[in-house]
Amino acid sequence: MKCIRCKAPAHVALPSHHSGFCKDCYPLFFTKQVETAIRREKMFTFDDRVLVALSGGKDSLALMLELHLQGYDVTGLHIDLGIPDSSEKARKKVENFCDLHGLTLEVFEMAKWGLPIPDVKAHVKRPVCAVCGKMKRHHFNRIAVEGGFDVLATGHNLDDEVARLFANTLRWDTAYLSDQGPVLPAAEGFVRKVKPLFRLSEFETANYAFMKGIEIHSDPCPYASGASFTGHKELWGELEHRSPGQKFQFYQSFLKTGKPAFAAMEKETGATLAPCAECGSPTSAETCSVCRIKAAVRESKAKDAG
Amino acid sequence: MITVKLEPDGKVIEMSDTRSVHAVLNKLQLRSTMAIVVRDGELLTPDRMLKNGDALMVRKVTSAG
Ligand SMILES: [Zn+2]
Ligand SMILES: [Zn+2]
Repeated sequence: MKCIRCKAPAHVALPSHHSGFCKDCYPLFFTKQVETAIRREKMFTFDDRVLVALSGGKDSLALMLELHLQGYDVTGLHIDLGIPDSSEKARKKVENFCDLHGLTLEVFEMAKWGLPIPDVKAHVKRPVCAVCGKMKRHHFNRIAVEGGFDVLATGHNLDDEVARLFANTLRWDTAYLSDQGPVLPAAEGFVRKVKPLFRLSEFETANYAFMKGIEIHSDPCPYASGASFTGHKELWGELEHRSPGQKFQFYQSFLKTGKPAFAAMEKETGATLAPCAECGSPTSAETCSVCRIKAAVRESKAKDAG
Repeated sequence: MITVKLEPDGKVIEMSDTRSVHAVLNKLQLRSTMAIVVRDGELLTPDRMLKNGDALMVRKVTSAG
């Protein structure tokens, strides 16, 4: 196979684009996909301050590097979850990466805030991944708002988006189906959230990360059951193999046709938001769910101690 | 003989009579867009031919979560 741009031997074959690219031309393809996403979805401009959520996985690091190379004003934010061994490794990886490329990084420590994730696991009966995700989103948003950032960017790729959309569709979860997408507009107390990698598959991001020397192996979270969306991703891998391009089409058609219909349905029932009595984050209750979880853990701990 | 190191698990497998990257992926029951294949630090497309003694790294791309 030859590179579609320069006819040199290809290093990456992309069936969904009927093309192959050599190692010099592939990053140009990747850059173009990110540029198109940002421009068509009006994600942000060169005047905006962009906060990038960095987990330490290949996707978020690839996103951070690519936005930096394109000349955007980016700051990384890593949340140290306080999980023994695992969190130190992830944090080190993010810190080394930002050092190497001269990128600005902020680190927020769950332990210093008073709620390391192992405490959640020990004292909250709900699935730890759901609570952890909620905590992370809360702090990403809060820090973006407090820091005066215009937008929060995450490394979600096409496979993440399709797996989530598929899960929401299987449940016909109207609330989620009404606002899933590559851009979540700013609202009272919420910063705009964007996913500039949504046009790129996991495979495409993995190739880019490898070429850019981003070490793509990352340890899965020790608390994750491994089940989350992995089955859906495998199913979609097969569908994509049988008809290349299907994944992107499914997602694009949802954005064009499905989402507006669900949004219209949801409009009637939306809850009104007010600042949380404790932390000031927008919530539909008196105290936000994150503050309630924090209080519940505090009580449970006190009971255990006393 | 081709030596294949599987990532992220780190398992090493030896394959004989395997002439192409495509054949390696087939034996591993992987579709071409589910893993990247590297030889001597370079990515390979599925149509690339292999020779006896080649050492490959095959890394699955699906991230958890
Ligand atoms: Zn080329
Ligand atoms: Zn609160």
